[in-house]
Amino acid sequence: MGYLDGFKVTFKKLFEERVTTEYPKEKRPKPPRFHGRHVLNRYEDGMEKCIGCELCAGVCPAKCIYVRGADNPETEPVSPGERYGYVYEINYLRCIHCDLCVEACPTEAITESKLFEFSFANRSDAIYTKDELVVDDDGQPKRQPWELWHDGDDLATSGWMRATAPSGNPDYQNRVGWSGELGYGVRAPETGQQEKFPELSDLDFLTEDQAEEQH
Amino acid sequence: MSDSVPNEVSVNINGAEVRAKAGEMLIAAADRAGVHIPRFCYHERMSSVGMCRMCLVDVDTGRGPMLQPSCMVPVAEGMSVDTQSEDTKRAQEGILEFLLVNHPLDCPVCDKGGECPLQDQTMAYGPGESRFVEEKRHYEKPIPISDLVHLDRERCILCDRCTRFADEIAGDPLIHFTERGNSTQVLTFPDEPFSSYFSGNTVQICPVGALTAAPYRFKARPWDLDQVESTCTTCSMGCRTAVQSSRNELVRYLGVDIESVNHGWLCDKGRFNFEATNSEERLTVPLIRDPNDERQLLGSDWGSALANAAEAILDAGSDGIGIIGGSRLTNEDAYAWSKLARSIIRTDNLDAQLGDGLPAELVHSLPPATIADACEADTVLVVGPDLKEELAILHLRLRGAATKGHTKVVEINAAPSGCEPYVERAIRCGSGEAAKYLGEILNSDDDLATRLREGSVVAVVGRSSMAESDHSSIAVAALIRDELPHATFLTALRRGNVRGALDMGLAPGVLPGRTAIDNPSSALDDIWGYTPSMKGLDTTGMLQAAAEGKIRTLVLLGADPLSDFPDRNLAAEAIQRAETVISLDNFLTASSAQADIILPTTAYGEQGGTTTNLEGRISRLTQKITPPGSVRDDWMIATELAWRLGGDLNLTSKEQIWREIEQVAPSHAGVTVERIMSEEAREGILVQESSVEYIFPSVQEPPIADGYGLRLISGRKLWDASTTTSMSPSLRPLAEAPVLKVHPTDLQRLGILSGSDVRVISTRSTENLKAVADESLERGTALLPFNQPGFGANRFIDATAAVNDIRIETL
Ligand code: SF4
Ligand code: SF4
Ligand code: SF4
Ligand code: SF4
Ligand code: FES
Repeated sequence: MGYLDGFKVTFKKLFEERVTTEYPKEKRPKPPRFHGRHVLNRYEDGMEKCIGCELCAGVCPAKCIYVRGADNPETEPVSPGERYGYVYEINYLRCIHCDLCVEACPTEAITESKLFEFSFANRSDAIYTKDELVVDDDGQPKRQPWELWHDGDDLATSGWMRATAPSGNPDYQNRVGWSGELGYGVRAPETGQQEKFPELSDLDFLTEDQAEEQH
Repeated sequence: MSDSVPNEVSVNINGAEVRAKAGEMLIAAADRAGVHIPRFCYHERMSSVGMCRMCLVDVDTGRGPMLQPSCMVPVAEGMSVDTQSEDTKRAQEGILEFLLVNHPLDCPVCDKGGECPLQDQTMAYGPGESRFVEEKRHYEKPIPISDLVHLDRERCILCDRCTRFADEIAGDPLIHFTERGNSTQVLTFPDEPFSSYFSGNTVQICPVGALTAAPYRFKARPWDLDQVESTCTTCSMGCRTAVQSSRNELVRYLGVDIESVNHGWLCDKGRFNFEATNSEERLTVPLIRDPNDERQLLGSDWGSALANAAEAILDAGSDGIGIIGGSRLTNEDAYAWSKLARSIIRTDNLDAQLGDGLPAELVHSLPPATIADACEADTVLVVGPDLKEELAILHLRLRGAATKGHTKVVEINAAPSGCEPYVERAIRCGSGEAAKYLGEILNSDDDLATRLREGSVVAVVGRSSMAESDHSSIAVAALIRDELPHATFLTALRRGNVRGALDMGLAPGVLPGRTAIDNPSSALDDIWGYTPSMKGLDTTGMLQAAAEGKIRTLVLLGADPLSDFPDRNLAAEAIQRAETVISLDNFLTASSAQADIILPTTAYGEQGGTTTNLEGRISRLTQKITPPGSVRDDWMIATELAWRLGGDLNLTSKEQIWREIEQVAPSHAGVTVERIMSEEAREGILVQESSVEYIFPSVQEPPIADGYGLRLISGRKLWDASTTTSMSPSLRPLAEAPVLKVHPTDLQRLGILSGSDVRVISTRSTENLKAVADESLERGTALLPFNQPGFGANRFIDATAAVNDIRIETL
């Protein structure tokens, strides 16, 4: 029998459910923490969340973020407070989508969407600037001509969750401590949070399941 | 246990025996022993005040351990200290929790974030959690307390460093604590900005981000800064700096504490003029004058610009050429030009000073003093420019010596100066008559005369006024040499590396290494092959010769005679008449804009090498950023020109140039590249030898002013129209418009109201200017700053006259 042993697995698998999909005709829902291309979020009043602090640039292991801060113009402030990000660039030829920038950001300005289907024909397209990264007036990412995504693909773009509380204390895990976000309101907490913190359930958020359903 | 070294005690810090100077604070002794005690308010260059209590440690002097602030407790024999005890830790946590009670923690937008002692010490010694949940104290977010400094009172931890600095070190007590209790805050007086020349230092020493500098505001974060140590060349003090850049752009200079020069302080001009290097106005390609249109400059390439320059030099012949300037250059660049001029062009017409300094032979021959000597001398005799305006950090050091030490500063000057608040005596003399006054004092039975004759004396000698010739300073130096042979000298020359340029022979009659032209070292003879035997012309001589058509090609080595030479008329005539003017510069200045060939050069921060300060201290410059466009170092231009003139300088790199300097310059023998690259060079390598002799000329007394004229006095201001200031956007507005100051009685006599415009007439020019009354002046004198935006006093000055008088009239 010896040499047929190897086929045993093949035969067994023939009658099991198929796990591969006909990508790109068919797309699987992406996991909630999927790391796609970034967006720069805005508050519900339209102000940018980024304060140009360069923490994301400092932490990025691929050194692909370039940020410059500047004084907020007094009459037309871009972000709340003194400082705003006046240059913001991510070079996608270098980004490894590790999400450390997202972890570092003190204002949750930079998050990663689930969008990953993009390719470029020249280097400068690969460098996303504020024009591309800052979300639209309705809070959705701006679709670039070289990105392949369909309506709905961008939903729950800020699928990112903190692994721990800002102070690192696990007691605070899953508590949503952030202000509302343009387009999405207060973000969905991680699964399990509602059971642990029932008082949070009257907040208007999408649970993960709902988010996936919509997808 | 004391092995009885006098003035030494032995203390036990964390179980280790530490020897300390009696009277020294415990925190300083611990620092030297390598034990770090956290602190906010303590600063080693200022007196201790014990404001923050962060430095509490357990001290046992025999009565059991007790928490005491280590910055306020002098060491005592047998003291036993524990910096890690439970009590100490509890105290540190408590202090930090208290400090953070009202602290906004806006680290992400705070310029200090990333290098903040409050952040760092909270991480290292803090409690981790705060129990304070109430609303914090709020103030208006940053308020500008001067044009350069912003204050965020929410972040202030009331450590008293800035206020102490302003009062104790700078002598400009313009910021203070106001209010009491929870509302205590740092503030300026109403309507009075913190306009100190040293305000930037408060930003550097503030242990939090309460004080931030406008030119650096939000420019970068500490983690994207890259830093090298270098030396400031804004004036000839040579303060040690840390030059920091982000993304190939200079963004900040910090003072580095070295004992011999700046003690960590910088003046605001030196601290913030990095903006000039970054300026958009920098020249980046060579320019040549359009042959078809005289008024146009055309962008060119190095090949043709250098070919044109070489042709003009060849055409003019060695007697027809004059090389002016060079104090912007590094020592190596200056040497290359000195070698080019003498061995290849074969001229001795070269001068780094613009008729505003002292003869090079005099500078080389005076017995030298150091800044430290001055700060320890019994008497410092200042007969020269207003040090606060021209050599600000020297002023700071002398002020420190006068207020904290036993040194007495005596000043002889024709106009009031910024040093007056701390001088023992300010002697007001007529312009050009300082020597006469000094002579009278020395021959009187004044206490001062006795002290000068018997005590140690350092004389700071320089040009008090651009409106008088150098004869008056020479006469002072001659008198001091005669009467006070024990006195040593600091020559108060102002420009960046002017001393280095003179040392490298960028002056008529002196060769590299402080030797006279008729006494070249044999190594120099060998390597150079040729040196002119006759002394050439100085700047005044060259400009005169050019105006007469005898000099046909003028080379301006970063010099702007139209703004800086005391006699603008002469400079203008010379530039006009010269057939070719070649300018090596960073910017289009008044003079370089009129040049025919403009060669762009590297600026500060873009070149390495060495510089020499007014004491003769050689320290290293470090390149931090890559220069813009196709600009070149001055030495490279010299070697290129040499090639085109059919010679070869045999110079290949700054390091190799220094090796050659070390060989040919007798005063620099032994100052090897290795020493310059070593740790020793941080303090600078002092070079004091010289073989130059100076024969004092006989000097006549200046003529008496006639009854109608006012004697003109003109010195420079820190904030003036100099290139680096006017090319720095943050500094440019600080330079005030020029006003003529006259004693009120003189104005009255002429029926002129203070503040009105007057017609000012001198032998050189007639101009309209605003005149204001100033009682601190002597009658019969008029004070006009030398080079302010829009107007230079050099329009009125005749460089050949001993003194200059003006008349004023109502319009
Ligand atoms: S995801 Fe990682 S690699 Fe990409 S920008 Fe953020 S920190 Fe840099
Ligand atoms: S995205 Fe966040 S971390 Fe990055 S600069 Fe903006 S505020 Fe700072
Ligand atoms: S001063 Fe220090 S602790 Fe305070 S906000 Fe600034 S960086 Fe943070
Ligand atoms: S502003 Fe800074 S230096 Fe001044 S008292 Fe406050 S914390 Fe100290
Ligand atoms: S450092 Fe000693 S009390 Fe502040």
